[in-house]
Amino acid sequence: MTEARHFHCTACGQCCYGLLPLTLKDALAHAARFPLAFLWTPAPPTSRHVALTAKLGTLLTLPNKTKLAVLIAPVAYLPASFPCPALRTDMLCAIHTDKPLRCKTMPFYPYRDERAQTEFLVPRPGWLCSTSQTSPLVYQNNQLVDRVDFDAERKELLDQAPVLRRYADYMVKHSPALLGTLMQVTNHPRAEHLVTSLSSFLTATRAPDTHAIARLQLPVLEHYAALTLKDPMLALFHQRYHDSAIEMAYLSNASGV
Amino acid sequence: MALCPCGSEYDFENCCGPIIAGALAPTAEALVRSRYTAFVKHALDHVARTHAPEVRQDFNRAEAERMAAQCEWRGLEIRRATETGDTAEVEFVVRFRRERQDHASVTVSTFRRDQGQWLYVGTKEAPKGVPVRVTKIGPNDPCPCNSGKKAKKCCGTNPAVR
Repeated sequence: MTEARHFHCTACGQCCYGLLPLTLKDALAHAARFPLAFLWTPAPPTSRHVALTAKLGTLLTLPNKTKLAVLIAPVAYLPASFPCPALRTDMLCAIHTDKPLRCKTMPFYPYRDERAQTEFLVPRPGWLCSTSQTSPLVYQNNQLVDRVDFDAERKELLDQAPVLRRYADYMVKHSPALLGTLMQVTNHPRAEHLVTSLSSFLTATRAPDTHAIARLQLPVLEHYAALTLKDPMLALFHQRYHDSAIEMAYLSNASGV
Repeated sequence: MALCPCGSEYDFENCCGPIIAGALAPTAEALVRSRYTAFVKHALDHVARTHAPEVRQDFNRAEAERMAAQCEWRGLEIRRATETGDTAEVEFVVRFRRERQDHASVTVSTFRRDQGQWLYVGTKEAPKGVPVRVTKIGPNDPCPCNSGKKAKKCCGTNPAVR
């Protein structure tokens, strides 16, 4: 039996910064709010996350014939220093009732086994989460006390996996160079993550609403491209916003897409 | 008359021009050359229609249009073209400059001939697991042509169009 864990959100807003993994449904539902991209994260072959990562993501075969479990997550592609666009100045959420599943499930993380959740109950430096004994009991005996949001997010991740697998197959088929990049990311955990574009996902999955999504994304991407224009530390973010904006402009104008 | 961007040293009108306009590419290599030249000339309908039917919808036109607009094309090198009946494999290097960075992308693509028309089918991993795409070549990085030399002692980081 493991110790009981307590947790209470103090609405400090500190977790509302930077990259935010989303379910596919949430990503597309919030296309007018978040700059979208796809983040590929390999599970280190020796880690405990390989099986679940392969289930939620995909299992790729590398050029050296070894298998690599990779999570492919739609993300709100934001620099770590950038707040969520829905974070209000009073540090509350402007879209609380419609917030993504990822935000509802916090601090838990269904991309990991339920038995491996304790690390997410330790506030990161600067976060003001309350974890004292007087806070509500949230986790005990390797189980969540209230599992509604966790289960909802996990179910969505499982349900969407076939679509992301189709996307992964498409990328490997036409851009096998991506496998080399993933090997580098695996061997050097601090290496830059592999990020792929919304346009590639829309093409791979033949998304019928491509035109509408592109129209919603375009102003968001232009906004973030402008915000990151002057900061050399954010040059890569700027480049990706800029490139994606060009692609979304094309898809917005293409007739009958 | 102008030399063809594909580096054949023929005139455009006697090289990729007619193929982009709809003539049949006589070889898979000629198709690769014409598809490269189509990027240089912003004639991406040619790239779209020379995808095999089963992968035609895989063509990310938005990305291709962006690349055609952003890149300064610095040359194509055909390293190997192997035709076996109606199938072919072509290994080629595309050099381009984008956002003040030189890039060289090494690709091995497969092709099929349907009723005389060569069509793009897919892309294979580069031989021996070498990453297919080598980006941001520094002078001391290995040359993307796999010679084993440093780029500055081989093809260079900023090769001119031949």
